[in-house]
Amino acid sequence: MPPRAPDPDDDGLAERLRQIVGDRRVLVRPGELRAYESDGLPGYQLRPSIAVFPGTRDETIAVVRLLAERGVPFVPRGAGTGLSGGALAEGVVLLGLHRLTRIITIDAENQRAVVEPGVVNATLTRLASAHGLHYAPDPSSQTACTIGGNVAENAGGPHCLKYGVTLDHIVALTVLLPNGAIVTLGNDDGEQEGYDLLGAFIGSEGCFGIALDVTVRLVRDPQAVRTLLADFPSVMAAASAVSAIIATGIVPAALEMMDNATIQAVEASIYAAGYPTDAAAILLIELDGAAAGIDDDVARVARLCDDAGARGVRTAADAAERARLWQGRKKAFGAMGRISPHLVVQDAVVPRTRLPAVLAEIQAIGERHHVNVCNVFHAGDGNLHPNIGYDSSDPVQAQRVHDAMSEIMAACIAAGGTITGEHGVGLDKLPYMDALFTAPTLHAMCALRDVFDPDHRANPGKVVPVHSCREWHSVRPPVAGRRP
Amino acid sequence: MTTKSISTPQCAIPGTPLGLAAEGLDACVHCGFCLQACPTYLTLEDENDSPRGRLVLMRAVVEGSLPVDDPDVRTHIDRCLGCRACETACPSGVPYGQLLEATRATLTTDQPNAPIARIILFGFAHPLLLRLGLLGGRVARALRISRLLARLPGRLGFAMAMLESTRRALGAGPYAATGDGARGTATLLTGCVMEGLFTETNRATERTLTVNGYDMVSTRGQRCCGALHAHAGDERRARALAKKNIAAFERSGTDYIVVNAAGCGAMMKEYPHLLAREPRWAERASRVSQRVRDVSELLAEAGPAPGGPLPISVTYDAPCHLLHAQRIATPPLAVLGAVPGLTLVPLPGSEHCCGSAGIYNLVEPDVSDRVLAPKLANIAGTGAKFVATGNPGCLMQIGAGLHQSGIASRAVHPVDILDESYRRLPAPR
Repeated sequence: MPPRAPDPDDDGLAERLRQIVGDRRVLVRPGELRAYESDGLPGYQLRPSIAVFPGTRDETIAVVRLLAERGVPFVPRGAGTGLSGGALAEGVVLLGLHRLTRIITIDAENQRAVVEPGVVNATLTRLASAHGLHYAPDPSSQTACTIGGNVAENAGGPHCLKYGVTLDHIVALTVLLPNGAIVTLGNDDGEQEGYDLLGAFIGSEGCFGIALDVTVRLVRDPQAVRTLLADFPSVMAAASAVSAIIATGIVPAALEMMDNATIQAVEASIYAAGYPTDAAAILLIELDGAAAGIDDDVARVARLCDDAGARGVRTAADAAERARLWQGRKKAFGAMGRISPHLVVQDAVVPRTRLPAVLAEIQAIGERHHVNVCNVFHAGDGNLHPNIGYDSSDPVQAQRVHDAMSEIMAACIAAGGTITGEHGVGLDKLPYMDALFTAPTLHAMCALRDVFDPDHRANPGKVVPVHSCREWHSVRPPVAGRRP
Repeated sequence: MTTKSISTPQCAIPGTPLGLAAEGLDACVHCGFCLQACPTYLTLEDENDSPRGRLVLMRAVVEGSLPVDDPDVRTHIDRCLGCRACETACPSGVPYGQLLEATRATLTTDQPNAPIARIILFGFAHPLLLRLGLLGGRVARALRISRLLARLPGRLGFAMAMLESTRRALGAGPYAATGDGARGTATLLTGCVMEGLFTETNRATERTLTVNGYDMVSTRGQRCCGALHAHAGDERRARALAKKNIAAFERSGTDYIVVNAAGCGAMMKEYPHLLAREPRWAERASRVSQRVRDVSELLAEAGPAPGGPLPISVTYDAPCHLLHAQRIATPPLAVLGAVPGLTLVPLPGSEHCCGSAGIYNLVEPDVSDRVLAPKLANIAGTGAKFVATGNPGCLMQIGAGLHQSGIASRAVHPVDILDESYRRLPAPR
């Protein structure tokens, strides 16, 4: 073991935490806190004062009650795969919940599972698959992200087009409030009684407390699944196919678009899926449900793609090919590291009918600022993820990227859209909140936060700009600084 | 706006191995997809013990925000198994294995490795010492000293169990293998531990390749491949050994250089990278590396020819340096598939490291034990009588674990199984 550096723990907080969770589970030295300065979005680096990792429910309760006793702010963190800087803790305690990985029950008959917040999304589906069930929300980071983080961000994923987001799949939560009290929200039946506090908690981005256990709805695996890969000569043609498919009333399980730059990155990676590398855009379309009639829908969708100008449409031959096609899509964000040393990734939603117009505008903005925008996104629900690769050591280029992104976000808002589909507001989208909401609306959000956390200690400085909360005498200064 | 990565404005450690390799860090987008692939993250549950966390530490050293001798950096870099499972999970292609070796080479300049590691690395670089050590091992094994001492607690007991596990698990002896040599000439990297403790596996490799149409030639003057040295940051010795091997295998001039130890095969395929800064050698390394094949690759390419019936139950554990470093997944299964009557039982988590990792199990025994435990439980769960795996480190780590925990299963090289199957064929083979 390395010698212990001088401990900045003047008030003995770290020592008390060590008594609860053990020496190895409390980090205080700069060298060991470094890995926790960022989440899935390393443009921000903010150092927590202490990182603490409870291993059991009881330890978690003891830690939160100790923090409450001392009035110490904290930031909950799952696997650190978030893309809005929501799990960054500047100078406060980082509370890692990734060690709470118990599957408490899987009740196949009632299609319910009760899990701890640190359970990885894909692990839950893998265990449920033995019963012919799965957990439907499938964010692209599902092989790494945790159910607790999914609850905090109200995570989405490709299959949310048909099956709904996290909110639609959580029936109950046992919540540890920031003051240390334990409450139950929702119930196993999934019926709503009184105010929908469960709905308020899901997507609260760690500002309302910690889910100690999560009761999820498990979905029966569909009888039949068909995955289509349609290859288009232009992004516009692909976008018009999306509109045409939705207009028929067919609800695909997923409807995803990737443009050429994204295809190239994926095909160069270990997750190469066999996408046509010369296509301007591809659509990945999944249809599922009863076996009867599904092939008629497949034929209709294929025809609509043809009509929109597709160069070709093929259906995955088997489960292995289907898995490969999806792996390529889900690892696309990671594969972007191949394009250029740095990357900005954004998450905005526009009305589906405006998709072709907004995509054209994004392209025009990119050209105007001489930056290369790549798109990989949930086309079916209008959830855009424009990415720009660049080299941040070039300040001129970095400024161009920043300007382009601001214009893209403004264009999405102007088109009647919003600033986040599934990544959350966190720290990254904070500057856009004023553009999107009126002061009274923001104030109402602050008031709701007060109900769960009147001391404003849980995930301080996130989601709602502090200036909108009139009576906040925040323990923290407003939004933290960033690099570069 | 969301920026992906921190730029590397200035390198605080120019000219060091890590400083030279630092560009590889830029590929990391911090997506975290590597976390669940990493045995030390799953075991220790701290991101500092994950690929993403270690890349952050490497970057901090490159930028100069953490000093080269920061004890936390050293601890977490030391704890990496080097299994490279993160590389087959990484969409962005971060050259993690190369970065790890460069980091170790940089850190060990100031703070040498643990004494036990230094002794082992010294021994492997000196053929006479090495031969003497392995002879001692064979004597201890023949006299059953290893069986007796394997009962001791701690590292000595485990080391003795490792030695004990190298006792032949299968096969009744040699047979006269014949073939037409139509697939070209091949020569075996005899290796250190393989020739010293798994002598019969080397002979089985030669026999099975002969049966499958390879004309086997021997190569004099070959040495330890240098993998242990490269992994531990001892670049100087790794390069010296690589050059000796390159010269030796240039002289033998066969179509193929066949390796039956996954770790050594991975190293030899990476000689061009190891010698990248010496252009003349890099070119020679590249020509030699192109000839290197794992034994399972050559056998699978030839079919392999079916053997005689061998009704045993076998589970397969993928050596990390075969699956993740060389990206060879199915050829070993093709080898086992050529054995009539063999029942292959799938092993859950076969893609995870067993905790051997070269000399890791001797240097970081606690973590190694904790990584091994789920592996043993999974093997026991299959009920298979044999665990096939094509790397001496894994054979000994799993073998010792099985021996000490009393699980009725033996670790064995896939080639030994095929060889026994061939032996059961009516002559001529």
